[in-house]
Amino acid sequence: MTPAPPLTWLDKLRDPSERTLGVLLLAPALLLLALIVVYPIGRLLFNSFYDLRLSGGSGARFVASENYALVLDDTDFWNAAKNTVLITLITVPGALAVGLGLAMLANLPFKRQWPVRLALLLPWALPLSFCGLIFAWFFHTEYGVVNDLLQRLGLADAAEPAMWLLRPGWAFTAICVAIIWKTSSFMALILLAGLQMIPKTLYEAAEVDGASRWQQFSQITVPMLMPSIIVALIFRTITALQTFDIPYTMTRGGPGNSTETLAMLIHKTTIDYLDLGYGSTLAVGMFLLSLCVTAVYLRRVGNAA
Amino acid sequence: MNRRAAAALLSLWLVLSLRANPAQAQAASAPTIKLRVFAGGSGQRPDLTRKLLATYMQRNPGLLIETEAGGASSDLQRQYLSTVLNAKDPAIDVYLIDIVNPAQYFGAGWLEPLDAYLGEAATVLKPYLPAYATSNVIQGKLAAMPAWADAMFIYYRRDLLDKHGVAEPRTWDELAAAAKKIQAVEKQAGQPALQGLSIQGAPIEGAVCTFLLPYWSQGKAFNDANGKLTLDRAVAARGLQQWLTMVDQGVIKKNVAEVKTHDTNNEFKAGQVVFALNWSYAWDRYQQDADSRVKGKVGVMALPAVAGGERVTCLGGWQWAVSAFSRHKAEAAQLVRFMASPEAGKLLAIQGALLPTSAALYTDPDVVQAVPWFKDAAAGVVAGKSRPLSSEYGRVSDIIRTTTSAVLARTRTPEEGAGDIGSRLGRVMR
Repeated sequence: MTPAPPLTWLDKLRDPSERTLGVLLLAPALLLLALIVVYPIGRLLFNSFYDLRLSGGSGARFVASENYALVLDDTDFWNAAKNTVLITLITVPGALAVGLGLAMLANLPFKRQWPVRLALLLPWALPLSFCGLIFAWFFHTEYGVVNDLLQRLGLADAAEPAMWLLRPGWAFTAICVAIIWKTSSFMALILLAGLQMIPKTLYEAAEVDGASRWQQFSQITVPMLMPSIIVALIFRTITALQTFDIPYTMTRGGPGNSTETLAMLIHKTTIDYLDLGYGSTLAVGMFLLSLCVTAVYLRRVGNAA
Repeated sequence: MNRRAAAALLSLWLVLSLRANPAQAQAASAPTIKLRVFAGGSGQRPDLTRKLLATYMQRNPGLLIETEAGGASSDLQRQYLSTVLNAKDPAIDVYLIDIVNPAQYFGAGWLEPLDAYLGEAATVLKPYLPAYATSNVIQGKLAAMPAWADAMFIYYRRDLLDKHGVAEPRTWDELAAAAKKIQAVEKQAGQPALQGLSIQGAPIEGAVCTFLLPYWSQGKAFNDANGKLTLDRAVAARGLQQWLTMVDQGVIKKNVAEVKTHDTNNEFKAGQVVFALNWSYAWDRYQQDADSRVKGKVGVMALPAVAGGERVTCLGGWQWAVSAFSRHKAEAAQLVRFMASPEAGKLLAIQGALLPTSAALYTDPDVVQAVPWFKDAAAGVVAGKSRPLSSEYGRVSDIIRTTTSAVLARTRTPEEGAGDIGSRLGRVMR
């Protein structure tokens, strides 16, 4: 009997072992993932150590941590970070409260459920920038429906209409209202799915035991819904930290830069100022902030659950 | 499916994906050359650009030119082009840019200097008005070619001024007094929302001029020939204060910090404004648009001066540039030469009331017949001032317009605003 010739790599490829085939089949996906996740993040970190001002025309210059020192001193960065955190702190609980209400409403035994569910879906399906433009119209000093309503109800003077988007505090409030309107339907959707998983028998048993409506809500609904609430909160918090479209279309960060978020500052630095190095450093700053907030938050919420 | 078949499929996919796309190879060998032109938003009249391009295509068979339009304002168009050009995308060959942009685009290496295709800058730009000859030459190179000029004017309701026996005002104070007089009577007669003057106070590109106009009018320069900031903060604060005083007098509306150029247009067309500060293209909008209620009632004049100052306007205008990433630069450069020619300028003036960039067209009989006020406008355009030419213009513009809007919204005082602009721009314009 002649010994078998040694296997070449081509033979191995033609008749691969389970392990090799696994690696081979995963490779395209891994490659793709590296291309769209690892490469951009790596490039961002790399750029953040360079002076990459396109307007200078001098090409890239390594500046080590100079950009980072500038970020720490940059009042615009801290202002935007403050606004971003505030928007998160206000709109995440806000959307949760409104979303929970909407979900409970949609869970009521209506005869026809589809109109309610459709109405629930609509704000979620609307592009963010449309939502911003719509609310900018709502709050417009002269043409806005908000001032019109207030005047019709006799709550405001027609001669002195409120300039919602031109007063820092009011502009901030208006933006939060728009964000809560836009995002609570997504919350409601996740919570509605959770509500429908709660067995009806639990409520029947509670009723037999004489539990009040409030007791049913706090003792059955909320604990049974907790996993859904946590998922919804995590998603919402991450997107809230990236807020861009709604303030951009409503106020462009104004008046002054009192409603500018981190994402807007990064956009302005890279696209308007063409300062890619510093923009990347700001983006790293935002990434770190998101990381901190999410970590603290997951811990808290996780412990509570 | 067994392992062998899976491995075979995988190799097949790899081979297929590595092969060149056959459609691409075919397109390259086709006789027609395709050019893509970015023609700006509706304010830049892409309809007229298409007309010119159709003429050019007729004369140059074998050339296929596609037009792309969009971006409601100069800054939105700049954002779009920044994204395309930053990606070194060869999709757009020729693009239209605002007068403030050649320096920035040149600095970024996004536009192809045209000297090699069209000749030396000084010779090529000789027939054009000085402001446009200057702003298209960066570091001695021909960066772009002037398409049409633009400048700010005051549009007014000729019928109302005649009715109340008011002459064209020569200073802003006179304008405020005239507006108040007309407003007082008309408000009694059932026009309670009549505005005296409409200016742009939203943080858009136009607000840069809103800041510069009263500053320049006091005889001060914003920057020197090298682009270094020469801001006089006290003068700048006085200029901003002038607008706020007019708000207090009820001449300008209170929410001026919300007003964009199209608000001024719509409100003037609806007959709600006596005087409007706007670019020259607006004339055509007020006279031709179907929804204009002021057709035949509009007058136009040079900008007033601050008391004791000079009458000065803010120059705008548009330029054609060739992308540095174009695959057909020579053809694109020839197209740009045509788009900047007197022939094109004449069509734009007659059909779109767009101000010509070459001096000769202002006295051309056909142009004078179509737009009689152009012959008076020429002097204003020649005396007009350009916004600072800076490779950092994106930053310069953002700082000025955001601060001006904040002052007009009264979240900053004029003194604080002038201080902000001075200290922030001082670091950029050195």
